[in-house]
Order: sequence, then structure tokens, then C-alpha cells
Amino acid sequence: MSDIFPKWTNQLPAKVLMGGLLVGAATVAGTWYYFTPKYTRVGYQPIQPVSFSHAVHVDQIGLDCRYCHHAVEKSWYSNIPASSTCMNCHNQILKNDPRLALVEQSVQTGRPIAWVQIHKVPDYVYFNHSVHVRRGVSCVECHGQINTMEEVYHAQPLSMSFCLECHRDPASRLRPLEKVTDLNWKWSNDPKTAAQLQKTRGEQFVHDWAIQTSQSCSACHR
Amino acid sequence: MKTIPPPCPEPDTGPKYWRSLDQLADAPEFRQWLEREFPDGASEFTDPVSRRYFVKIMSASFLLGGLGLTGCRRPVEHILPFSKMPENYTHGVAQFYATAFPTRSSAIPLVVKSHDGRPIKIEGNADHPDSNGATDQFAQASILDLYDPDRAKRFTRDENATTREDAADFLAKISEQAKSNGGQGLRFLLQRSSSPSRSRLQKLISEKFPNAQWHVYEPVDFDIHRQAASLAFGKPVSPYYKLDEANVIVSLDCDFIGGEEDTHIHVRRFAKRRNPEKSAKPMNRLYAVEGLFTLTGANADHRLRVPTSAVQGFAARLALEILRQKASGSGELQNSLSKLAAGFSGNDPWVAECAKDLLAPGNAGKTLIVAGHRQPLAAHLIAWAVNAALGNVGSTVAIHEATDAGGGDLAALVQALNAGQVETLVILGGNPAYDAPSDLKWTEAQAKARTVVRLGYHEDETFPAKGWHLPLTHYLESWGDARTADGTVVPIQPLIEPLSGGITALEVLARVGGLAQTNAYDIVRETFRSLGGEGENAWRKFLHDGFLAGSAAKTAAAQIDLSTVAKFLQTTQPPPAPTKDKLEAVFHRSYSVDDGRFNNNGWLQETPDPITKLTWDNAILISPKTAAELGVGDFDETRKGPRVKKGLFKNQVVEVELNGRKLRGPIWILPGLADNILGLALGYGRKKTGRIGRLPTGAPAGYNAYELRTTAGEHFSIGAKVIPLNEIYDLASTQEHGAMEGRPLIREATKQQYEAHPDFAKNMDLDAPSHVQHILKDPKTGQINSQPPMMYKHPYRVYEEKQQRTGGRLKGPPLKSDLHQWGMSIDLTACVGCSACMVACQSENNVPIVGKDQVTKGREMAWIRLDRYFVGNLYDPQIAYQPMLCQHCENAPCESVCPVNATVHDEEGLNLMVYNRCVGTRFCSNNCPYKVRRFNYFDYSRRPIGPGLYKDPFTSRTDGEWELKRWFKDPDKGSVPPDEWDLGKLVRNPDVTVRMRGVMEKCTFCVQRLEQAKIAQKVKAGASGDVRVPEGTIKTACQQACPAEAIVFGNLADPNSQVSQLKKQQRDYSVLGFLDTRPRTTYLARIRNPNPNMPDPYKDSPAALKEYVEHGNADPMGSHGAGRGGGHDPASASSHKTEKGAH
Repeated sequence: MSDIFPKWTNQLPAKVLMGGLLVGAATVAGTWYYFTPKYTRVGYQPIQPVSFSHAVHVDQIGLDCRYCHHAVEKSWYSNIPASSTCMNCHNQILKNDPRLALVEQSVQTGRPIAWVQIHKVPDYVYFNHSVHVRRGVSCVECHGQINTMEEVYHAQPLSMSFCLECHRDPASRLRPLEKVTDLNWKWSNDPKTAAQLQKTRGEQFVHDWAIQTSQSCSACHR
Repeated sequence: MKTIPPPCPEPDTGPKYWRSLDQLADAPEFRQWLEREFPDGASEFTDPVSRRYFVKIMSASFLLGGLGLTGCRRPVEHILPFSKMPENYTHGVAQFYATAFPTRSSAIPLVVKSHDGRPIKIEGNADHPDSNGATDQFAQASILDLYDPDRAKRFTRDENATTREDAADFLAKISEQAKSNGGQGLRFLLQRSSSPSRSRLQKLISEKFPNAQWHVYEPVDFDIHRQAASLAFGKPVSPYYKLDEANVIVSLDCDFIGGEEDTHIHVRRFAKRRNPEKSAKPMNRLYAVEGLFTLTGANADHRLRVPTSAVQGFAARLALEILRQKASGSGELQNSLSKLAAGFSGNDPWVAECAKDLLAPGNAGKTLIVAGHRQPLAAHLIAWAVNAALGNVGSTVAIHEATDAGGGDLAALVQALNAGQVETLVILGGNPAYDAPSDLKWTEAQAKARTVVRLGYHEDETFPAKGWHLPLTHYLESWGDARTADGTVVPIQPLIEPLSGGITALEVLARVGGLAQTNAYDIVRETFRSLGGEGENAWRKFLHDGFLAGSAAKTAAAQIDLSTVAKFLQTTQPPPAPTKDKLEAVFHRSYSVDDGRFNNNGWLQETPDPITKLTWDNAILISPKTAAELGVGDFDETRKGPRVKKGLFKNQVVEVELNGRKLRGPIWILPGLADNILGLALGYGRKKTGRIGRLPTGAPAGYNAYELRTTAGEHFSIGAKVIPLNEIYDLASTQEHGAMEGRPLIREATKQQYEAHPDFAKNMDLDAPSHVQHILKDPKTGQINSQPPMMYKHPYRVYEEKQQRTGGRLKGPPLKSDLHQWGMSIDLTACVGCSACMVACQSENNVPIVGKDQVTKGREMAWIRLDRYFVGNLYDPQIAYQPMLCQHCENAPCESVCPVNATVHDEEGLNLMVYNRCVGTRFCSNNCPYKVRRFNYFDYSRRPIGPGLYKDPFTSRTDGEWELKRWFKDPDKGSVPPDEWDLGKLVRNPDVTVRMRGVMEKCTFCVQRLEQAKIAQKVKAGASGDVRVPEGTIKTACQQACPAEAIVFGNLADPNSQVSQLKKQQRDYSVLGFLDTRPRTTYLARIRNPNPNMPDPYKDSPAALKEYVEHGNADPMGSHGAGRGGGHDPASASSHKTEKGAH
């Protein structure tokens, strides 16, 4: 019988089993990592029709987020500004710049600019901007350091676990209301002190403002 | 351990709480129906396509999916902001506009919600002086008509499409011609309207063209109320009923709760006095005398069944009794009354007791007699005479100044047409070719006019083959005005540009009249100015508030002229009594489609008729006794029900012959109908209607009752014959769906019983001490516990115990929030069963319609249903209504059986349904004791309700495209035709998920409204930390629509909230509470207020309560029922036991 099955075949079943397990584990791990929003979404950076730089407008000029995204405190939706909003300044500054041609054209013809959507939650998620930004959640928590981005990219996964992370522990994210749109702001330049202040002040904030983050399905799904 | 007795002992003599004749008969088919969660075949794959074929297709689509791999890449989506920001608009924030829903001679003031420029929800305007913000089902559903894909979209001339400009030119030509001859040969046919602008234009045109003539026609006309009052008072006046002032109301076939104008006001006023608690004003009492079984009859404390033609005789009989005792009225009046009273051969003691109640000293000037629109002028005049004699005029019924709209009727117009006197006929709205009396032969007459211009919402039966047809705008697209019941002027303002480029009636009138202003906006503003609204601010306030303050009609100073009444009555002859060979055919307005104007409205078609629970059809209603005598409907006296052949809804078709005219329709045996009458609902059987009004076969839904209707017998006619045919027709009734076998679901008592035993409802709990006395006793210690031992612990209790054990260190969110605990209380005494809540829920929550075929399979999707129970005698039953929706049990049986956690609780007490988790096992629905969960078997939101529902990927569509190809190109679209899809999705509420196939759904307590209110409060609260939503901020859609204010929703964590207060009442009870489900929705027991002296089988105890006791249950009014809650001494406990044993 030994002619039919050489000696090395004795270990074959174990090897096949091990190999199978390894492949299985790799598939699971791979899917786990690569098919989650952390990988599929973060870093998404489409080219926009107008080369608008947040870095220039926010960091250099110092515009507040709410100058353009004015509905963010009123609506569930943070609006993309109308072309006419751009022209409030640009009818004087960089008047005939070719980069602004599309904006000018849009105002003249009334046809909207087709911006490419970057941040998007699924249709069955009812996220509300106003209740977050008016209760101490900064833009930076979900959108990253937009103020330094030349071209906007997807900075955070915006997955359900991402949302729940904060809803389970709001104290570690909240900041004073007037600092919500100041994306560079920190409690302190020393990371240790900052962490400590975040903890104590954050808990104080949760208590004073009666922050009760819901972790129930009804909070976002209706 | 002793065994707990079965929760509901099965009765020996057949069920008492029955919902249909089949159930009463305990037909084997019904047993099977009840025992199955869904009816036979509902959960089977009944597609013509075989299972193997299906698998083949599946593998093909997987292959395609694999090749394309479209799912892996994120699609690029664009955001299109405005190029120029409009003022006062924030994307995502809904806007609300005040407007009004015009009805025949009135209007319902509204506030309409608009989302991103599309109107999506209609609610009443609570600021209006004569409104509590309620509406009726028609107003709620009217928004769907706006998005009706079948509405008229084009201007046509001789059936050829033309342009708006051509039409305008033609109208100008008519105007010029009329100018030359003073309007000779120019005739207008109008519908009734309360619009001040329209009457102003009419006047202007009449001045300009003195020879032009006006005609008004309404198939169901409520103008008789005004006509009768004007005749009785000798000057143009109209009545204004104040039902909330009346202690005793007698309805003479007047369905003021469901079938008359302004039902939402009447229901509100009626329900206001339907309060059994001790208050300043006593609970009212309603006597109804009627032939049909109407909603008013269903809510009456005493109901007398007489043929519709005999109501007049009853009225005369009652009037005689009262006038005699009051010693008023001339001999002349009494003589004519005696003559008419001879036509009434019935229950004299009933009349006497009714009269005695009206004459009771405490009720002086606080009673009301109302006659319905189906009754002839004589009945109305008698009612006025009685009201005057009882001193009600000015107290319970006000007389308002009115103007006679003038104009001839339809018969005069037909005469003129036949005589060739009509050059130009302008038809503004209405559908006379369908709903004109059949003896007038309208279609032939209409063709005799030289030119016909018709303004219509649909290209329907009246669509002129020769002549012009103009598309009418919806009221949500047009400028206009109207007057509400009390005469207050309300604006009608557009929320959206006309979707199909229509034209308003005001504009057509102005153009025909050749007036300077043709724009509807200018016309309405001009009228507003003439009414005293000067300046821009007044106009803006008018539009903002939705009414013009102080514009209510003035009370007329008028005295009733009894001699005119007597003179009129002398000319009236009592009609003959109907017999089984000469039946009385009664034509009535449908609760679903009105007179046919809502025939193409899916929400209304699928809202069951509150009495018959029929959807998508009308049936020929007949009483059980008459059916047995005639041998129709396969009625079996011994089995007390129809002989069911196969399936539950197979009904025999009969032919009805009346004066040589014939129609065919299915028979429906309705308990409680007067004998020897046939109930024929109008509004069905439309030959030319949209996709909804037709059944999948292409045949019209229902039969056309107008075919039997003549000018002489507009509302009822005696002499009908029924010829049984050997033919069967399927009817879709929701009657049996989700039946809950005869348990004390609705708890009723009379007012007297309630006063003596305010806790009777609690005593009917199956876990009440009287029921569980023997298990309350601890076998070891012999002590009596206050609560029976429970098999399962309440989840809150389990949580608390765990918290204590771990010292409060349990991880995760709290199980119960201290801020909000939502709950609902439904007052069954106030609920009248009008169904407005059902339509409101459908509109708010994107509930799809499923079509007739699916309703017969028990698959309707309504989140809230109105259970209607017949109780008592088969021939003269009582009706009780119960709105049934998800009860949001704290101890929810659905949650424990869901394998995927798709239905869970949140910390505010809501039972949530997580659509994304649901895999469609339907275990939850199976385990729900209330049967309120709905399963989406098909993509009802995306599929046509006809045969297209069963489309599979290899179906070739009518346009030649294959389903699979269509799906591959656009998987989001669904298989409905493009126009239906484009319009149908506009009406959806963006705040609520549109559910897909294979997902369970149910009432959410309007979670979207709760979350929005909470968010608004949190934003507002800021650093104050005041995040509790204040009382009164949130109204669920059903609560908002309810005219009776029977539904109250609120926060149970707030002990002062209205709902907390209501739940403290003794009348409060849970349905099936013994299951320990702890529902958050509880009911307030229904209290009836019968006259204790009335010769009526239910005067001492409502039928429901009688039957409850007959079941072998302990009498909740008995002494032993009273001890719940408090401490029990062992002595009383033992007496309970012996008594229980005696049962």
C-alpha cells in the first residue's frame, strides 16, 4: 500500500486543514478590513468641478464654516452654498479668474454646479446636523481637518460603529459651543493636559446640558 | 399549583362578539381563516411561474451581477445647490401653508406641509375659529389626487390636443359673441361652491350678459338644508348646527357623523358632549331613525330601523306628540301632520319615550332635531317646526344669513338643450355624463349644444367628443377662496405650480366673461378687497392665518312661519310602505369615494367602508330578513349566515330592476339595515376612469348606482325588484382580517352602570381579582397577594434587579429614560369610526396600497385599522368601533421571537421595527396578539397594483422592454409605468423610510415626529438642560386628524400630561391585558347613554356587556368585582370563590 500513498501524504490532511483555516482566516480578515467603510470610504477624494480650496478660505482668510454652510444650525442638512454665495466676494476679488468661470456662468445661467458628493450616509439614516453642532459636536469630529484640505476628502469612516463610538461616550468629544467651527482648537497644546481637560470639562458639559445620547435604533432609523 | 382557567371560555351558544355573518355561523372556512396567521395561499408562491423557473432566473441574475460587479464601486453622486439662493428657504426644513379644502357648500381650513416644494401632508388649521385642526378622510386623501397620473393633462379640441393659448383665444371668442347678443344661448353648468370670488364673477358676468343662464348640479346635494330653512323662515337663511349645545339629538336619517357636509365639525361638537365624567354639561343622547346603517346610527344610543321613506312619517308622528304636549301649532298643521303620520306604522312607545325625553324640563332649548339630505323637504320642515316648538332655534341651531345661489337645475338645462336653445355650454367641474339622473339622458342632451367647453380634472365620461376640454387645476395648485360652515372666509393658496399645466375655474369664468382680470390671484385679491381686506398687510395676514377674522356669517333675525310649513305639508302625501316585492332603493354617498369624485384615489378605495368593511367595491346592501325572504345571498336562517361555497368573499350577484331600469351587483347582507330596502352606494362603476378606479381586469370597480337613479327618486325610490342570478362575484372585505375571538376587547356600559360602578372596566380584566381570586392565595401561607403570580418578569423589573445586584454598574444605555415615556390613550366613547385616522396614517407614513386582489388575501398594509364589532341581535345590532394599532407593549411578545433582533425596544418605551435587520420570518406577526404587524409581500411601493404585481424578470412589458433589462438599467425604479412612478413618489414623506419587500412593518407612534420634536427641543434648550419635550408639542398623525379628539398621545414620564391623566381614569383598560404585555396604548371604556325608559333591548346594559356576562364571566357590575386593587380580607375572598363556582 505504501506504493500508492507516499509517506508525505501522512501529513496532508493536517496541512490541508491548516491551509484551509489560514485561507478562511485571511478571507475573513480581508473582508473585515477591506469591505468596511474604514477602507472603502476613507480617503475618497474626487475631483470637484471647481477647484475650491478650504485651506485658503478657512485657514488663510479665516472664514467661518457657517458663512457658506449657513443651514447647518437649522436643518438636518448642511447645505452646499449657492453659486451666488461665492459671488458675494468674488464679484470683487479675482473677478475674471478662469478658475471661477464655472461659478460665474452658473450665476448667469441659473444652472447649478454639479459638486461631487463625498460625505453620505445611507438613505435609511436620518442624521441631523443642527442638533450636533448646536450641542458641542465640532465639524472636525466627522469631517476631519477640512480647514487644511486643498481638495476635500473623506476623513472618517462614518459607519454605524463610528457614530456609536461617540454616542456611547459623548464626554470625550464635546467642546464649548463657540469652538465648534474652530477646527484647529484644542483644550491645550499639551496632549496630556488636553486629554484631562476633555475628560473633566466634557463630563461637566454632559451634565450641564443634559446630554443624553441615544443608542437606540430610533435615534437614526425611522 | 392550581391551573389558571383558560383566558376566554368558549361560549356554548355561538360567539357573541361577531364581526361577520360567517363568524357568527362559525363556518369551517372561518375557523380555518382565524387559525391561520394569513389566509390560505397568502404565504405561498402563487405566481404562474414555477419554482424551478424562478431558480433559473435567479442564477441568471447572479451571473449578470457577477459580470457587472456594479455593487462594488461607489456610484458618483452629485449635489446640485441653487445657483441663486431663494429667500426664506432652507433645504431640509419643511414649510407650512394655510389653505383650505373646498367642499360643496363649505370648506375645511388646512395647514399643508410642503417639503422641498412638494406638498406631502394635509392637516387641519387649528387656529381657525371653527376648527380644532381636524379633517375628514376626503381632505386627508385629497393630496393623492394632486399626484394622480391619470388626471387631465392636455387641452383638447374635438379630442385633438391643442394649446393653452388656443383655448384662451376660443374662450375670448365666446366672450365676444356673448357681448354681441347679451349672452343669448350661453349656459353655464356649475358645481356647488362657497367661493366668494366665484359668486362675484357670476354677478359680473350676469350684469354683462343678462341672457346667459346658470345651472347648478350636484349628484349628492346638501343644499336642501338651506332650502328648507329659507322656506320655513321666509327669507334666505341657512342653518348652523351647534351639536355641543344639545343634550338630546334626534337624527332623522341625518348622517351628520359621516355622510353630510362638514362632518369634522359635527363629530367634534358631538364628541365634546360625549363625556361621561362629571362635568358642567351632561353627556348627550342620540336617537337615530334611519333605513341604512350609517355612522350616526352606529353611534346612536337608540336606533330605530325604518325604511328611508318612512322617516318622514316618523317625524310627523313625533311632531304631533310634541306639538300636542306643547299645545302649539295650528289645527291646520296638526291635521297635515296626522295625515303624514299615518304613513308611519311602527313603534309608538318608542316615539312617546323619545318625545318625553325631548320635553324633559332640563332639556328645554337644549335639544336638536336634524333631518338628513336624503329626506324630502317635508321632513326638514317638520324638523324645523319641532325645533321651533322646543325652543331650539337660536340655541342649538343658529340661523345664518345666506344668499340664494340662484340658477336653474339640471333638468331645466336638459330641456333647453333638447329644445336647441343652447349655443355654448360651459361645464365647470362635475361629471354629469356619469352622475346625472338616468332619465335625463345627459350624454345625448350634451351633444345637442353647438359648442361644449368642459373644465375637468379627468378626461372622464363627460369628456366631450366634440368640443373643448380644459384640464382643471388641483386646489393645492390654484388661487381661490371659500367660506367655511360658519361663513368665515378662508384662502386657497397654491403650494406648487400646476403639475400638468391646468387652468382654474375662476380663470375660465373670467375669460368667458371677458373680464379685465383673468389671473386667479388678481381675482381673489380683488374679492378680498371687496370683503374689507384693505392693504398688503391684511392680505398677508389672511394668507398666514388661513382665515379672515370676523367674517363669519351674521345671525339672521327671522321667525319661523308655521303656516307656510302647514301649507307645504298639506300638499305632501305619505309614501307607500316598501314590501319585499316593491323594495325601497336608497342611494347614498359612499364613505370611500364620495359621489364618484374620489374614484381614482387609491387611499380612499382601500380605506374600508366603516360599516361594511368593504374595499374597492360597492355592494347591494340588504337586511338578513329581506335576504331570507327573497332567497338571495344564499342566506341560511338556521346557520344564521350565508352558505359559504369556496373562500370567504364569494358573493351572489343579483339584478335590481327599478322602473324598467336595471343594474347588476353583488349582494351583501348587512345586519341592522331596515327590512325591505336596498342600500346602493354611489360613486362606483365608472366607465371612464383612471387606473385605480378600474380593477385589474379592466372592468370598473363596483356597479354604477346612478343607472337606477332618476330625477323623481333622487335619494330613494320604491318599487325595486331583486332577481337572483346564478353568478358569483369576489368582494374584498377587511372584515375578518385579524379577528380576535370574542374577548372583552371593547368594554361598554351605560352611563348609569358606570356611575354606580366606575371601575367596571378594570373588573373585566381577566387578571382582575374576581377572576384570579383562587390563585391569589399563597398555598403555603394562606395569604392573599394583591397581584397574581406572573410567569415572566417584566423586563424593567428584571433590569432593576440586575442593577441592584451589580450595584448599578451595568454596562450599556439605560433601559428606561426619565425624560420621555411615550403612551397613548384612545377614548372609545368619543371614537365614531370615521376612518380619518386611517388615511392620515397612510399619508404620513408612506403606507402603500395593495389592490383588491391582495386585500382578499389579507395583505392590506394599514398600520391603524378600525375594528368594527356588531353586538347583540342579528336584526338590530349595536356597533362598536375600536382603532387598533401597535400597542407598543412594554413586555412585547414580538420582540422575544425575532431571531435577528429586528424588533427591539428603545429607552422611551417604543417598540421599534428595524427594517434593515428584518429578514422576513414573520414570527413577530405570528406572536402578536393584536395582529397589527403588516408584511410587505411584494414591493407594494414600486409595483402596479394590477397584474403587474406578479411581474417577474422575464416578463415583457407593454412597452416591449423586458423586466430584467429594466431592472438592470435602473434597479431603484420599480415596475410601475414611468408617469405613475414620477408622480407617485412625490407624495411620499421624506422623513419616513419607504419599506421594501420582505420586511415587516407597523405603527411607530410616528417616531419621525417624536425625533424631530426632541431635536428641536434639544437645539432650543442649549445650556439650560431643559430637554424634555413640552406637553402638546407632539401630535401623532392619527391624533391630529381625529375630529373627535379620541386619540391622545403624550409623555407618561410627565405625571401632569394629558395622557397620564387619562390613564389614571377608572375607565382605562388594556386590551388582552391578562397576557401581561403591558401595552402603552390603552383604551377608555365606551359609555353609552340610553334612555332608561325606552322600549329597547339594550336600555339597561349595552349588548356587549350583556354578552360578556352571558359568556359565563363574572358580572363586572356585581359586588365582587369591586375589590380590585385594595386590600382583600379573606372572608370576601372566599365568597368570591363560591360565586365563581356557581357560574
